[in-house]
Amino acid sequence: MKIFLFHLMPYADLDLGAAANYRAAWVVLPNSYFDPKQGHELYNRYLDELELAAELGFDGISVNEHHQNAYGLMPSPIVMAAALSRRTKQAKIAILGSAFCLRQHPLNIAEEHAMIDCITGGRLISGMVRGIGAEYYSTGNNPAFSHARFQEAHDLVVQAWTRPGPFAFEGRFYHFDYVNLWPRPYQQPHPPIWAPSTGSVETIEWAAHPSRKYTYLQAYSPTQSVVRYLNHYRECAQRMYGYRASSDQIGWSTPVYISDTDQKARDEAKPHIECLFNRLLRLPFEMLFPPGYLSAKSLKNMRSHKRSVSGQEHTVDSLIEQGIIVCGSPDTVRKQFTHTHRLLGFQNLLCLLQFGTLPRDLTERNIRLFAREVMPALQALTDKEYEGAQMHAAE
Amino acid sequence: MSETDNRSKQNGLLDLRGSKLNIHRMGAGEPLLFLHGAQGLDGSEPALAGLASHFDVIAPDHPGFGRSEDSELVDDVRDLALFYLDLLDALALKHVHVVGQCIGGWVALEMAVTSSARFKSLVLVNSAGIRLKGVPRGDMFLSSEDDLLKLLFARDGVEWLNRWRATPQLEDIYDRNRAAAAKLSWSPRLCNPKLDRWLHRIDVPTHIIWGEENRLIPPAYAQAFKQLIAGSSVSIVPGCAHLLHIEQPQIFADDVFRFIRRVAP
Repeated sequence: MKIFLFHLMPYADLDLGAAANYRAAWVVLPNSYFDPKQGHELYNRYLDELELAAELGFDGISVNEHHQNAYGLMPSPIVMAAALSRRTKQAKIAILGSAFCLRQHPLNIAEEHAMIDCITGGRLISGMVRGIGAEYYSTGNNPAFSHARFQEAHDLVVQAWTRPGPFAFEGRFYHFDYVNLWPRPYQQPHPPIWAPSTGSVETIEWAAHPSRKYTYLQAYSPTQSVVRYLNHYRECAQRMYGYRASSDQIGWSTPVYISDTDQKARDEAKPHIECLFNRLLRLPFEMLFPPGYLSAKSLKNMRSHKRSVSGQEHTVDSLIEQGIIVCGSPDTVRKQFTHTHRLLGFQNLLCLLQFGTLPRDLTERNIRLFAREVMPALQALTDKEYEGAQMHAAE
Repeated sequence: MSETDNRSKQNGLLDLRGSKLNIHRMGAGEPLLFLHGAQGLDGSEPALAGLASHFDVIAPDHPGFGRSEDSELVDDVRDLALFYLDLLDALALKHVHVVGQCIGGWVALEMAVTSSARFKSLVLVNSAGIRLKGVPRGDMFLSSEDDLLKLLFARDGVEWLNRWRATPQLEDIYDRNRAAAAKLSWSPRLCNPKLDRWLHRIDVPTHIIWGEENRLIPPAYAQAFKQLIAGSSVSIVPGCAHLLHIEQPQIFADDVFRFIRRVAP
């Protein structure tokens, strides 16, 4: 299994008391609460944490894109990927992802991804995302065209990476007379494309298509959803497309916290993980799902789901119980991942080892404990340990 | 074909340029096209009934709203305006009074600056379409349901909201309307920033009706439209807001009727 350290780069110095007066830490939270001096400290600290992970033998380090919020300070993950590209030598650099479709000129991001791929000699993984609902307020993009624009931006970027230029691109949203990327990506035909999601059947069916076979990454989900969606990918490949998906095509992304004992881990993680889920990730329905952002069917499901869980505050205990986070002693965490891998067989694991307000010292210890006590056992896991592969072999 | 002959055919679904358009048609008299706003047509029945006592009212659900199919031809308000010019042709309506609320007013304006040949008069009700710099508007998409009602109604709008919860079908239409409204008006929000350049082309009698307590598009917009459209008149209606025709259907219908009787006796 490949292990990645995933970083969101939250604004960990947020005045939580003041922020509580706003509907969300997105869109409407005034940027007067951002102190550039703290920003300077945080960016450099977070880059240190990613570089430390690369030194300690993580297979990859990962950043992502979010706009106008305190949850994640990377409106351009490419800036971070560029900073990391010369400070690391072996680790993959995974941008998970870039929201190509939020731009009027997705080609500019395609160029920047190609640059990083060339600089790193092919260490780039290119994630493609639509951006979350709040970002359709922040950027003024129309959510009603989100799905269609995502598809078209993807087509444009992949063609730009792979087709000899110059050529004309004549789409519904994008029109270019001269597509002719300099540089082309280092990896051929193009960097691996990943599709992160919090659970979308449409995304899975799209990613699993034989012409794509993109890695689907399930993020921020209770165990039952991780099981459902990762298995759905394999079933979809088999039933809809008639091929057997490789375990490399699926991944799980989750916050992880390790300390000496289970109780100590819970106590230490508690305020910081609850800050992430109850404060930074708390978005009103209208902000998270602007009209048209979800298909009519998905919106209906989401509405009924929301009615059943509305007003629910997370606690560290409820998060652990539902499997949304993995938290405990090294032994507990190792066993839990080994167990889940046996069930699902995913070959990519993204660990969010800094979250919310988790300070520098606890983050560094978390990274070091994970690298020393848990990671080697997980990196050794293959399809041999996956029940599904064994069942398949037995058939 | 006389207009009476047409009428029986166009209550219900009409095939127009490849999609099915749901048209409510009622009353008798001169034809009047009612173009609904972002919140859709449901709830406008008393207002339409008020108009129908004087006019042959033709009220479509816009493509993607209510019970009309989505149309591949309609991505924005400009497309919708051309689509409705096609509708006027299809229904052979030669001289029609056009009443548009919110996004519907914006559609009527885009139609009129393109061709007012089939227009007899124009009524704008809390109309979208232009942007006044420095005049804050409400955000009907980002608002919580409670705040949305405060934008739309001067008094309690809960009854209107609850109506949408009555059946799963209405709940679906509510979501459908919101998505269709976003498609037409998300950005630039509720306006064509260049439309004000062309409003001098409107050469039919025009009346503007505004809810005094409209917090979505404040009454300053009524005065702006009056300045931009030569010879237009304004009614500011107290005790109502953006959904004026739902909050005060009789006052709305009477005001429309008085204006039309004055300009087209």
